Amino acid sequence: MKKVVIAAVLAAIVAVLATAAWGSTTGASKVASVANADTALVKCGKTRSIGLLAPITGPAASLGLPQVHWANFYKNTYNRTHKKKIKLVPEDTMLGSANGTAEAVKGAQALGSNAAVLGVVGPAGSNEVKATTGALKGAGLGWVSGSATNTQITLDGTRTGFFFRTVPPDSSQSKSVTAYITGTLKLKRVYIIDDQEAYSTGLADEVQAQLQAKGVTVGRDGVSQQQSDFTSLINKIPRNTQLVYLPWQLPPKGKAFGQQMKSLGRAGVKLMGSDGLFDPLFSSLGNNVYDSFFPLNPADKRVAAFTKIHKSSELFGAPSYVATQVVTGAIDRACKNGTASRAEVRAQIKRTNILAATSLLGLQVKFDKHGDMVKKPFGIYHSVKGVFVRVA
Amino acid sequence: MNWSLFFGELVSGLTLGSIYALIALGYTMVYGILKLLNFAHGDVYMVGAFIGFFILQWLGGPLKPVVTGWLAVAIMFAVAMIGCGALGVGIERFAYRPLRNAPRIAPLISALGVSIFLQNSALLLWGPQFRDYDTFDLVGVKSYHIGQNFFISNIQILTISVSIGLTIALTLIVSRTRTGKAMRATSFDRDAAEMMGISIDRVISFTFFLGSALAAAGGIMFGLVFGQIFSLMGFTAGLKGFTAAVVGGIGSIPGAVVGGFLIGLLEAFATGYLPGGSVYANLYVFALLIVMFLIRPSGLLGSPVIQKV
Repeated sequence: MKKVVIAAVLAAIVAVLATAAWGSTTGASKVASVANADTALVKCGKTRSIGLLAPITGPAASLGLPQVHWANFYKNTYNRTHKKKIKLVPEDTMLGSANGTAEAVKGAQALGSNAAVLGVVGPAGSNEVKATTGALKGAGLGWVSGSATNTQITLDGTRTGFFFRTVPPDSSQSKSVTAYITGTLKLKRVYIIDDQEAYSTGLADEVQAQLQAKGVTVGRDGVSQQQSDFTSLINKIPRNTQLVYLPWQLPPKGKAFGQQMKSLGRAGVKLMGSDGLFDPLFSSLGNNVYDSFFPLNPADKRVAAFTKIHKSSELFGAPSYVATQVVTGAIDRACKNGTASRAEVRAQIKRTNILAATSLLGLQVKFDKHGDMVKKPFGIYHSVKGVFVRVA
Repeated sequence: MNWSLFFGELVSGLTLGSIYALIALGYTMVYGILKLLNFAHGDVYMVGAFIGFFILQWLGGPLKPVVTGWLAVAIMFAVAMIGCGALGVGIERFAYRPLRNAPRIAPLISALGVSIFLQNSALLLWGPQFRDYDTFDLVGVKSYHIGQNFFISNIQILTISVSIGLTIALTLIVSRTRTGKAMRATSFDRDAAEMMGISIDRVISFTFFLGSALAAAGGIMFGLVFGQIFSLMGFTAGLKGFTAAVVGGIGSIPGAVVGGFLIGLLEAFATGYLPGGSVYANLYVFALLIVMFLIRPSGLLGSPVIQKV
């Protein structure tokens, strides 16, 4: 019996050592494959593949689907007028779901291991950008988000040269928000509630600091994205509060908060959301709702064409059209000699220059050394009869 | 003293506690009869909320219901309670009954399996999106206030009243009917009850029907009060309901109700008064569970188990 136990222990030790040795070998080959993925030349062929990371399902699907629609709208427009075609490879990130950013990471890994993918559009959330950095950067992919606005994700240096965005950062959004609250609405008592995610806390911190610097009394609290009962939190908001600022990502939560405010007799308090809440669900709450959003050109004929197809302008997704345009343009330039590597595509993304006259955003799309757009204004919108109208 | 905040949290806590109490009743009844922790119960509550939602859509949706808003709510309650009752009976028949004489860990694992099955089935069938009850459009939410500090909405009044009403009805069923007597007998000594001619299978099925129907009512109340439902809502609510049942004394019907209200009030007052309360309210709730286990393992109204040696 004793011999059997000793043999079993020895067998277990051998198995553990063998597994560790195998793991270290595959680790080495992983490093090699990352280096290969970065510089490996891919035959461009007739169809070029672009990854698309978006919350296609999940609590933030109402934000993700417009992004998918606008990216597909660009793809269809491009494919109609070009001999070489582009193909989008979608991966669902399920932003806001209970398992956090795990789905986004899985999607990024899938795109990284797909040799045909030369660049990526997305993901939507700043926390997702942080979470997917290892997988995308490790695979040598450049990626362009149409909605991740946390100021630090371009400034912290972690993903410089790999990550770009076609939306202005929170630092720009917070300035516009603060200016409107203090300058136009002339409010003195504001309550800020973040949703504990990187995007939300970053923007909330900036708005809070700027409002306090202008003499506004600011209360601050936070909620989890999983929470649906806001009544206890609403009770905490001082009765003399004039505006509640919600830098959230999930419009259904914004709507639930607004409805619970009304049911507790707080219908008179103004609500202001950030770009994440720029959605009919939030604007439907009534005329006391405001929001900040990208400076789109609503008169652009592409907006009209999109609206005709989708019966709604779904403007939140429009920067993803531009992101797809940026990646496609970079692949086109990198593919001039028939082959391209992911490193070449990244270099070409950096050199993007879409003039204001032709840009859907109504401003020049050109990146600075951090991956931010050189020009980055933000607009303020007011809900009139349930529809957001630009007021600043 | 900020009385506005105090009364606000009191009403919020009672509303939330009403929902937890209904979930806790299902846990406690099943435990009382079978000594089984039915971890699928939270997911039955989620299914109830979805049945209510789809009935509302079938009735024309919140904007244009083919019947009046309040009648639509009543139909939602009735159909969801019957539907979930049947689901509970089905779960007991196929997942627990075959394991009734197996070691106690087997039905516990089976309960976890049913929970995951229901959660993932809901994700597959209905997707992970939030579904909106649109209570404002459906019944027109009104807020009443007494003086400067006490506010309550008609939906909160409905939730608390329905919860109390259902608890009284359950108490009457258990204490005044033949079936209730059979339930108590089965809970006291299953073998002796069987020898006295009581159909144990029927009593257990009826217990599952009642518990699941109450969970369905809780799910609809959640949708009405907080506006939205989603396929993973059963997990945390189920844990809170379980905590309420344990705090009140698992196996005790009044204990489940007291535990539910206590958890709801604790969550609301923690959010209102404690540092970081709105983010860490769950921490306080589950800390209470641990403290309760340490101080009074049998719960507030539970009786200590005496073992012969």
